[in-house]
Amino acid sequence: MTTIKFTVNGQAQSLEIDPTTPLLWTLRDHLQMTGTKFGCGIGMCGACTVHLNGNATRSCLIPVQAVDGADIATIEGLSESGDHILQRLWVELNVPQCGYCQSGVLMAAADLLKRIPNPSDEEIDANISNICRCGTYPRIREGIRRAAQEMGA
Amino acid sequence: MSQMKMSRRKFLITSATVAGGLSLQLVPIDSMAASESGKAGGKSGSELSPWLTIHADDTVIVTVPTPEIGNGASTQQAMNIAEELECDWQYVKVEFASFSREYKQPGSYAVGLQPFFGGHSTDHDRMPYTMQLGASARERLKLAAAKRWDVPIAEIEARNSVLTHLPSGRKLRFGEVAAEAGSVELEAEPSLKPQSEWRLLGKTKPHKVQLPKVVNGSAEYGVDVTRPGMVYAALRQSPVHGGLLKSHDPEAVLSMPGVRAVVVIDPSATPGSPVDASPTFGFEGSECRSGVAVIADHYWQAKKALDALPMEWDDGLGAFWSSDEKIHERQDRVLERWAGVPLTKSGNVAAVKTAKTVEATYRTPFCEHATMEPLNGTALYTKDSLELWHSTQDMQQAFWVAVDESGIHPDHVTIHQTMVGGGFGRRVIGDDVRAVVAVARQYPDVPVKVIWSREETTQQGAYRTQLAARFRAGLNEQGMPESLEGETCFSGMALNLGFTDMAYAFSGAIPNVRLAASNLPMHIATGAYRAPCYNAHAFTVETFIDECAVAGGIDPLEYRLKLLADWDPAWSHCLKLAAERAGWGKPLPKGQGRGIAISNWPHSGEKQAGATVCAVAHVEVSQEGKLTVHSIDFTFDCGRTVNLDAVLAQLEGGIIFGLNMSLNEGLTIVDGAVVESNFDRYPMLKMADIPEINIHLEALSGHDRFAIIGEAPVGPIGPAIGNAIYQAIGKRVRSTPFRKQDLSWS
Repeated sequence: MTTIKFTVNGQAQSLEIDPTTPLLWTLRDHLQMTGTKFGCGIGMCGACTVHLNGNATRSCLIPVQAVDGADIATIEGLSESGDHILQRLWVELNVPQCGYCQSGVLMAAADLLKRIPNPSDEEIDANISNICRCGTYPRIREGIRRAAQEMGA
Repeated sequence: MSQMKMSRRKFLITSATVAGGLSLQLVPIDSMAASESGKAGGKSGSELSPWLTIHADDTVIVTVPTPEIGNGASTQQAMNIAEELECDWQYVKVEFASFSREYKQPGSYAVGLQPFFGGHSTDHDRMPYTMQLGASARERLKLAAAKRWDVPIAEIEARNSVLTHLPSGRKLRFGEVAAEAGSVELEAEPSLKPQSEWRLLGKTKPHKVQLPKVVNGSAEYGVDVTRPGMVYAALRQSPVHGGLLKSHDPEAVLSMPGVRAVVVIDPSATPGSPVDASPTFGFEGSECRSGVAVIADHYWQAKKALDALPMEWDDGLGAFWSSDEKIHERQDRVLERWAGVPLTKSGNVAAVKTAKTVEATYRTPFCEHATMEPLNGTALYTKDSLELWHSTQDMQQAFWVAVDESGIHPDHVTIHQTMVGGGFGRRVIGDDVRAVVAVARQYPDVPVKVIWSREETTQQGAYRTQLAARFRAGLNEQGMPESLEGETCFSGMALNLGFTDMAYAFSGAIPNVRLAASNLPMHIATGAYRAPCYNAHAFTVETFIDECAVAGGIDPLEYRLKLLADWDPAWSHCLKLAAERAGWGKPLPKGQGRGIAISNWPHSGEKQAGATVCAVAHVEVSQEGKLTVHSIDFTFDCGRTVNLDAVLAQLEGGIIFGLNMSLNEGLTIVDGAVVESNFDRYPMLKMADIPEINIHLEALSGHDRFAIIGEAPVGPIGPAIGNAIYQAIGKRVRSTPFRKQDLSWS
């Protein structure tokens, strides 16, 4: 057990924890923040995507010891009241089906728009590598395009 | 209390005033009789949550027995009620029904409120029941307002959660009279509006009601359930299905941090239900799989200990079906005999002598559902009660499996429906429920959350079965079939819809038909996979018909149109429209091609029934054999739609599911076990892999049905791509996934 300190959505956290515990399970089991999802555990599906010091990162592969002192943002902190432009469009465009993967997709898309405010289709393809088994990809693309338009307008 | 007679059976609508609002129940008359005569199981309706409640603040609570797996089934149930209720859609909230409803009130589900995932939740037959609830509530509200104002009820209009006295313009909100409406007596239940007067259904396209919670991370899926004092379990079950745990060494891990216990999952230890059980699909397939679970304070501790736990397995009979080659060889041996039980038969195929015979065998592999939410469940077992939180697709099945595996009397079993992170048929049979209860039962008085790793989820699937199909057709001088013989061979339930009822056998174009099925029992667990076997049948049938067209020297589109000339015209419309929009017949460079396929779920052999779906794929194959799908043009006929956007979402998702299935998916069996364990070896399409998808609406016939649409679009995608590959490079692909086929050419 080791003491690890970091912030999640602006709130300071200090945990006595097995330092090899992945950040994903730290958030879910130790902090009861279950918006970040477990999908594959090998960094492939992206359901566990969070922002680590501002960058979209798959939390299932990062041991919590590696985030000591870091700043983490999760889906619960993407906006104050669920009204981030992507969250609003995701509802309006009926993007999610089962919805399980969408926390991770939203975190990846928010990161993309922050870095590339008006991404091309190729840039969307290259940056959104999350798996959605329900096949919501066309609507995810539409949501990102619309957000870029509205933000640019 | 007013009585309503529906086509299937009688039930009553009863009303009550609850907490300042109006609540309505649907009560099957059989259940009332059982209750009155004191028969086991019959409980009075008042113990149960109402199907519909209108609160003083205008909130409308709709109780649904359909879990939400992502297809919007619960939203649709609410829309049906809101249409007749005339409430403002923004006030509508959905809650899940009690799992024990059917047990406490037998017949509840039979009155159109089926207990599962909503494959059929939007079905025409079910709509009147929920709509009548809305109509009944609306009339009661109007009657209450008429009494308060002392005016005739005919002068009152209900709209957008407001009651208006038309002559005077006086208004009341629904909530203001809801309590009074709970005690009024209707002389007769109102009749339902004609469809032409619908304002919500078919006219609006609301998003799924749960989305605000999905996008902020607060929607609770099964794996998110958190209970005070909860512990976690990681499990491993026999890698060869049907095998047994031979030995394990708990001492090796019990001293690891956080570890509390190691428990054995023993299929022979199931206590059994203390009363007659009525699971939706029976218990077969839900049995425990021999294994072991480690229980710890946190999941990561449980998983680490499980990985360190020495264990040995006895592969049992499963070792016989050691490899795909062995399974294929056995299937071929069966199919060579042409001796399967004929299920569809006309004319006499043996008497047909034709100029040309077309014959081929096709295969589709085991496929895993790969729901994004891995299997899981949380249970609190005590010596006389069980409480379970679960992301099931089927409440009734889950309830009885939980009763059976706990041995607890159903009166003391409580289950909470959570959101479901993907179903596709995987969360139907309840083997996951059983494993959770089997673990929790051995660690009583503490809530235990059991989580399958992705690897365990993949290797402990209930797969789409591996299927082989052999066809033979005798073509006449014009190239059209005089006879058609087909036989499938696979393990698992006899799931033949889409094969034995194929439209080509029923359209009258082929005079001699014999379609048969053979079962080849083996150890690997199988189940429904976005429709039971249908998408595998669609691949074999539509690829064979394409081969017949080529052998007959007739364009594959033209061939299908000829075969279906006297069939439901919507099939031809779908074919023609998809072909036209895809530029059928326009020349393409070498290495590119278009292919077409058509199918229907679940009523291929009936006219104007089910959802007919057609796809044209445009593909390109490089000389090295790299396959690219450029576009899919897609047409469909499900009659009409009640929520077009919900239908389009299912079509988009189904097309992509079909793409993934046919391009990528196929499990490998080695030493009797599944080799693939995670997305690195069982790949999923991503954003960059999705072709242009064009869904065309104009083939919708407008026929008076709202056929289910979630499963159908998967079917034609694979064969359309395979047929396009043939047109592109002249290679006929007779098995999936395409990524494993040699498509190189020169």
